[in-house]
Amino acid sequence: MTTDLASKMGQELSGKILEISGQNPHLCMQCGTCSASCTGIDLMDLLPRQVMRLIQLGNARALACRSIWICSTCLLCTARCPRGIDIARLMEALRVINLRKGNEVLAPEKIPVDLIKEVPQMALTSGFRKLSA
Amino acid sequence: MAEEKEMVNIYIMGKHYKVPYGLTIMKAMEYAGYRFIRGCGCRGGFCGACGTVYRKPGDFRLKVGLACQTVVEDGMYLTQIPFYPANKATYNLEELTPTLGTLLQYYPEMTRCLGCNSCTRICPQELSVMDYIAAAQRGDIEKAANMSFDCIMCGLCASRCPAEIVQYNVAILARRLYGRHIAPRAQHLAKRVEEIKAGKFDEEISRLMKMDRAELQKLYDARDIEP
Amino acid sequence: MRIPYFPGCTLYTKARNLDNSTRASLGALGVELAELPQWTCCGTVFPLAQDNYMGMVAAARILANAAKEGDGRLVTVCSFCYNVLKRVNYAIKNNPEAKNKLNTYLEENYAGETRLLHPLEVIRDEVGWERIKSKAGENLKGLKVACYYGCLLTRPAQEMAFGDPENPTVMEELVCALGAEPTVFPHKTKCCGSYQLLNSSELVLSRVREILCSAAAHGAQAIITSCPLCQFNLDWAQEKIEQNDPGFTKIPVLYFTQLLGAALALPAQNLGLEQHYVDPRPLFTGM
Repeated sequence: MTTDLASKMGQELSGKILEISGQNPHLCMQCGTCSASCTGIDLMDLLPRQVMRLIQLGNARALACRSIWICSTCLLCTARCPRGIDIARLMEALRVINLRKGNEVLAPEKIPVDLIKEVPQMALTSGFRKLSA
Repeated sequence: MAEEKEMVNIYIMGKHYKVPYGLTIMKAMEYAGYRFIRGCGCRGGFCGACGTVYRKPGDFRLKVGLACQTVVEDGMYLTQIPFYPANKATYNLEELTPTLGTLLQYYPEMTRCLGCNSCTRICPQELSVMDYIAAAQRGDIEKAANMSFDCIMCGLCASRCPAEIVQYNVAILARRLYGRHIAPRAQHLAKRVEEIKAGKFDEEISRLMKMDRAELQKLYDARDIEP
Repeated sequence: MRIPYFPGCTLYTKARNLDNSTRASLGALGVELAELPQWTCCGTVFPLAQDNYMGMVAAARILANAAKEGDGRLVTVCSFCYNVLKRVNYAIKNNPEAKNKLNTYLEENYAGETRLLHPLEVIRDEVGWERIKSKAGENLKGLKVACYYGCLLTRPAQEMAFGDPENPTVMEELVCALGAEPTVFPHKTKCCGSYQLLNSSELVLSRVREILCSAAAHGAQAIITSCPLCQFNLDWAQEKIEQNDPGFTKIPVLYFTQLLGAALALPAQNLGLEQHYVDPRPLFTGM
C-alpha cells in the first residue's frame, strides 16, 4: 500500500519533470561525470549524479534538496554528459516546480542593501529569474 | 425603441443595470445608485483615482480607462479597481543620491521585469511604461523621469504586472531624484528669491495689504495674464 | 562599417567601462556601433524550462526590433546578453512552437533573421588579426594574460557556435594579435558562481579564488573577460579573499576591450581603468 502510493507520486513527479525539462532521465547510467564536473558540489547536499538517480526513481527528495539551488546553470554537466542529457534542464525543472508553488530561495527584501547597491544589476535580474518565485 | 436608443445595458461587478446613453462610467455608476466616498477625485481626468477595468462583448481583452473620462457602451462589463496596497517606499529625498543603487535599494523587485509589456498595454495615459522601467533598470533616471512625466499614479500597471513591480512608485522616485538632484536649478527662481529676501517687493506688499476688497478686485481683474 | 548595437543594462552603470572601451576600440578599427533606439533588459538568463516562453519575450522583442535596423546584424558584448539573445534566436529559428508563440504574443513576424555577433567575432571576421597586429604595436609586449570565458559564451555549444565549449580560442588569438602572451590555464570556461553571489556568496568566493589562483599559478599577470558579472565577481571578491588569506596575491581583471584599447593606445577616458577594485593601471605604466 505504502509502496503503491509512493510510486504513484513518483510517476506524477517524473511526468512533470519530463514535461518541463524535455529530458529523459532514464538515459542516465550513473557514471558521475556531472558530479566530477560540477563547480558547486562543495556546497551541495546531494551530488548531481544522486539528484539524477532520485529523478529516475521519482523520489520527491529531489525537489527538496539544496543542490538544485546551488546549481548556477553553467552547463558544464550538460556539455560533458556522455549520454547527452541536458542535466541543467532537469535541475531547472526541479527549481521551476518549486518556484511555481511559491517556494523560493531568493527574496529581494532579504538581500543586504549594501550588496544590492554594489552588484551589477544583471546579478539581480538573473538571480530573481532563477531563484525567486 | 426610443428607450433602446437612450438607455444602454451595463454590468457593474457582474450586476445588470440600464443607464442613459452617453454617460461616463462614473456618472453611470452614480445613476445606478453607487455613491463614491473614494475612487473619485478630480472628475477631470487628471488625478487617476478612478482607474476602471472593462470589457466589451465579443472581445476577450480587458480594457482600462478612467471612470470619469470613459463613456459607457452597450454590453460593457466593468468595475473600478480598488486601492492597491502596493509596495511604497518612504525616504528622505534630500539624503538620496540619483543613482541606480537608490532605485534598487527601495525597489529591487524592478529587476524582475519580464518585458511582457502588460503595463504599457494597460496604461490609460498611453505611457511606454515598460520602456521607462527599462530606463530605470539601466540607471537612466532622467529618461525614466521624462518618460513617466504624465503618470497619474492610477496603479493599473502594477495591477497587471506578473513580476509585481510597482511601476508608478519607481517612476515617482525617478522624477523626484531627477527634480531634486539632476535637473539644473532654475536660475530665474533663485534670482527672484534673492530679490524677495533683499526686500525688493516689501513696499508693494505693504501697499496691497492696505487695499480694501473692492480695490483688490479691480486690480485683480486688470492683471496681466501671461500668454 | 556601422552595425546596430545592444549595450545591455549593466553597461550603462557598473560596466560603463566595458561599453566605452567596446565602442572606442571597435571605432578605432573602423566599426561604428549604433545603439538601438529603444531597448529593454534582455532577460539575462535563457529559460531552461520548455514551457517558459515568457522568459524569452524580452529577448525576442529586441531581436525583432534589431531586424528592422541596419543590415540585420546586431552586436552585443555582455556574455549574458549575448547568450540569451543567441539562444532565443536559435529557439525562434529551430522551434516552430517558440516562433509561433512569441510572434503571436509580440504581434511580430520574426523568423530569427537577426545575425547576432560578439565583438570578438567582429574583430576576427570583419577586421582580421593581421590588421589588429599592424595597429597594435608593441605596447603589450611580454604581458601574460589569462583569457577567462566563463560559462555563457560557449555553452551550449550547438546553439552558441562560439568554438569548443570548454576550449574556445578566439580571445587567445586576440591576445596574440595584440602582441601579448596568452596564459594556458584549465579554468577558462569554469563558472565563477554567477548570480549565486546573492544566494550563496561563499560559492562565488571559493570559485573565484580557484580561478584566480589557477591563472596566477600559470603565470598570468592579468585576466580578461567579456562578462560584467564575471568581471565583478573576480574583481570584487579579491579583497575578501585576501582578508582570509594574507598570502593571496591580487590580479587585475579587465575586459578584453580594455586590453584592446590599451594596445591601440586609446585615450584613458575610453578605457575606464580607474573603475576597478584591483587597479590594473600598473600593468600599463610603460605606456
